Amino acid sequence: MTLAIVLAAVGAVLVAYLLYLYNRLVRLRNEVDTGWSNIDVTLKRRTDLIPNLVEAVKGYAAHEREVLQNVTEARAALQAAQTPIAAAAADDLLGLALDRLFAVAEAYPDLKASENFLHLQEELVDTENKIAAARRYYNQTVMVSNNAVQTFPALLFAGALGFRAREFFEASEEDRQAIQVTFDRTTA
Amino acid sequence: MTLQQQIRANRLRSAFVVLLFVLLIAAVGAAIAFGVDRSLGVGVVAAGLAYGVISLLSSRRMVTSLAHATPVASKADDPELFRMVETVSIAAGLAKPPQIWVIDDPAPNALASGLRPDTSLVAVTTGLRRLMSRRELEAVIAHEVAHIRNRDTRLMTMAAVLVGVIAMICDIAFRMALSGRGRRDQSPVSVIPVIIALVLAPIAAVMLQMALSRRREFLADASAAAMLNDAEAMALALRKLQLDQQTLHYADHAIAHLFIESPVHRIRGVGELLGSLFQTHPPLDERIRRLEEAGGFRLG
Repeated sequence: MTLAIVLAAVGAVLVAYLLYLYNRLVRLRNEVDTGWSNIDVTLKRRTDLIPNLVEAVKGYAAHEREVLQNVTEARAALQAAQTPIAAAAADDLLGLALDRLFAVAEAYPDLKASENFLHLQEELVDTENKIAAARRYYNQTVMVSNNAVQTFPALLFAGALGFRAREFFEASEEDRQAIQVTFDRTTA
Repeated sequence: MTLQQQIRANRLRSAFVVLLFVLLIAAVGAAIAFGVDRSLGVGVVAAGLAYGVISLLSSRRMVTSLAHATPVASKADDPELFRMVETVSIAAGLAKPPQIWVIDDPAPNALASGLRPDTSLVAVTTGLRRLMSRRELEAVIAHEVAHIRNRDTRLMTMAAVLVGVIAMICDIAFRMALSGRGRRDQSPVSVIPVIIALVLAPIAAVMLQMALSRRREFLADASAAAMLNDAEAMALALRKLQLDQQTLHYADHAIAHLFIESPVHRIRGVGELLGSLFQTHPPLDERIRRLEEAGGFRLG
């Protein structure tokens, strides 16, 4: 009799804990998803601006082929990216390629004075700021969510309930290298 | 206290503010029904609740008209400000950036208001826009967006609106009592509204006080610093607000606590001690000091 009561009490506590855990993990997962969709929207805006920029630069500096090609390839890699890490790596490379493009543009006064080019440059700087903001928010929510999934005692149940640790939007040198290797193959 | 705890606490307090409001209206109605006339009491309850609901639904109009704010029509009018609000909202994880309003006033100040994050608004004065550097302006906007994300705006807007309704009911009760005295017999019934008004006013003040907990200003400063990863920018912006001696032209006590810096003149001398008890904002010195501690820097 006493045993039955104890078992029932333990069961009730366990069920209450699981309900609490499930709701908390769902909320954290939604926050991570919101963060990711913010990143996705800003990345898409960045890739949408690139073809216009490439066209604008071609009009004045068509022979800067290598610089332009780097931008186009980084953009293609970003569009093809399937995971946060791959997207972060491609986005980093795109940022480097754009920096070089804008550095080269300094040598073309007509291009620098072009209103279209200035507008695109301004838009790209704005998107870059937004990607940085979205990255801060996303990585922070991922950290909170991963801590919740990977700490005891939640880690005993999180997997069974269908919650996993999530990837940060953060690329290492190797991740970037992996993309650059495919570049070299396509250009060769 | 973590952000989620703060949001939960704010939700609870908002519900409590509404409950307190309903109870106050019911108490007034009961007193009138018991002492004066039953149908009048029912009428007061119905009218009070309806007025409360209508005021909440039109809180945006109430707040913006008290602050003399006008909406910024399109992004083309001030692209830099729009971009800043968009970027900061992304950093805060809001699904949608708040509307941008402008207050035509040389004193630098800003406010946030709204019952839900996606229907909220941020208003900045033209003085703030002129005086602040890019970095400081961004910090001020981040502070306001933090209030929206932490659900401070809902609680503060609700408290402002419902206290306004109660103040009006008190006002009417006083008038009823005064006009009653002028008439024929001095029946004890005419005293009831006065008592009601005298009891209601302090309760309304307590309600407002609760919403005004100064801790939420510190938390919004800290959230803004975290969002921008720049505690110094927030401290610099506060220092600039501190050095500026101008005060808002249309400062209204009802919405004073919605602003980043108290827009109401500080009382000097004898009233200072009493005034500090009812200050809606902690002193800027203290806010700057906490940012310096958290960020590990010192403003010169």
